[in-house]
Amino acid sequence: MGDNPMTSTPTRFTGQPTRMILLLLAGWLIVAHAYADQGPLNQVRSTVEAVLDNLKNKDLPKATLTDRIRSLIKERFDYHAMAQRALAVHWKKATPKIRDRFTELFSKTLESTYLGRIEAYTDERVEYVKERIKGNKSIVDTKIVTANTDIPVTYRLHRSGDKWLVYDVKIEDVSLIRNYRSTYGEIVNNEGFDGLLAKMEAKLESQANESGSN
Amino acid sequence: MPCYADAGAGAEMEKAATNSTGDFEDFDDDFDDEENVVEAYDPLEIFNRGMFWVNDKLYFYLLKPAARVFRIIPQPVRVSIANFFNNIETPIRLVNAAAQLKWSDAGHELERFAINTTVGIGGLFDPAKSRLRISPKIEDSGQTMGHYGVGAGPYLVIPIIGPSTLRDGIGRVADYYLHPVTYIVDDFSDIVIIEAIDVTNTLSLDKDTYEAIKKDALDPYLFIRDAYLQRRRAQVAR
Repeated sequence: MGDNPMTSTPTRFTGQPTRMILLLLAGWLIVAHAYADQGPLNQVRSTVEAVLDNLKNKDLPKATLTDRIRSLIKERFDYHAMAQRALAVHWKKATPKIRDRFTELFSKTLESTYLGRIEAYTDERVEYVKERIKGNKSIVDTKIVTANTDIPVTYRLHRSGDKWLVYDVKIEDVSLIRNYRSTYGEIVNNEGFDGLLAKMEAKLESQANESGSN
Repeated sequence: MPCYADAGAGAEMEKAATNSTGDFEDFDDDFDDEENVVEAYDPLEIFNRGMFWVNDKLYFYLLKPAARVFRIIPQPVRVSIANFFNNIETPIRLVNAAAQLKWSDAGHELERFAINTTVGIGGLFDPAKSRLRISPKIEDSGQTMGHYGVGAGPYLVIPIIGPSTLRDGIGRVADYYLHPVTYIVDDFSDIVIIEAIDVTNTLSLDKDTYEAIKKDALDPYLFIRDAYLQRRRAQVAR
């Protein structure tokens, strides 16, 4: 701290506290920039690898494993967008109450099916092939490498702030949402929304019973 | 062949930020048009559902038990058997790739056959894929017809084989005449036995795919129909 007011200005801005603030500011800018640069491929990778890490951990009790995986996919999948697209034309005709109930059941369906499928996981690994970005949408190509064969899995994502969220998954060229859409569409045509919702509830129950008995 | 023109009006491309290679047609999002629900053409649905039911019984009472017994054979051997059959079926892929003027694919199939039959010991192994990274290109007569604009026609469920379409069913008959076994083996019943071994072997390597579909799908018939048609459309386009 200088006594002379004429020479005190330079030292004020090079003192220890100022340096700390500048460093923190620079650090924050780097982190924020890096996160913003985390493209869709890297975001998909971090979710998938986290799921695989949990699956590889043999010591985890099943309930913990299930909870962790559930929250991991909830972070990455846009359930609402998927539900809307799965119902397609019928979404417009549905009342808000039906929409909410459908979204709730559909989210549970996605989780339950996903958890059921990955129970078959042994030692497969995933390759992250490439990403394509166009505006607020992107496509990430991955590959599940198994002993006999490779299974191409493609994610379609849209941007929500800094996060990329999945709104469709294609496995071996078959779009999940499109597949659900064709099934749900036909059921709504033949049995109405009530019929669809009832069937979804029944299926969730049977899935729960089957995994509960394992 | 898919055209690379951008179908959307005024869609912007972020040239600087992307590692895109220019094939943006995948972005033509059919979800944008929520009215566009492509209904499957299935005028024979009642008949198909009946056949689907028959196949379901065949699967659980005949095919799956046979596959389970087959699992006595160690898996690497069964993988080799699968490789052997795939190798023999090269003419089907080769001829159809050439018919579609896909010369590099046809060339690859020739390379694969040469390498796998020699280094791969009569097709039991697939060094072309594992060492040289030359993957098979699945082509068949149904795809060739589709390539030249023949529509798929009505959805058909065939005994044992399962999902198909009129065009693809006819394609299978054509492929029968491209299959070397047809010419090597004299007795038709022997041909059937060889096919049965192929099917049973393939099923023995499968990890309960059909069971999984039955467990998760609200309507397995609809699920399989849609999955087959989607996959077929993509195969024809490639």
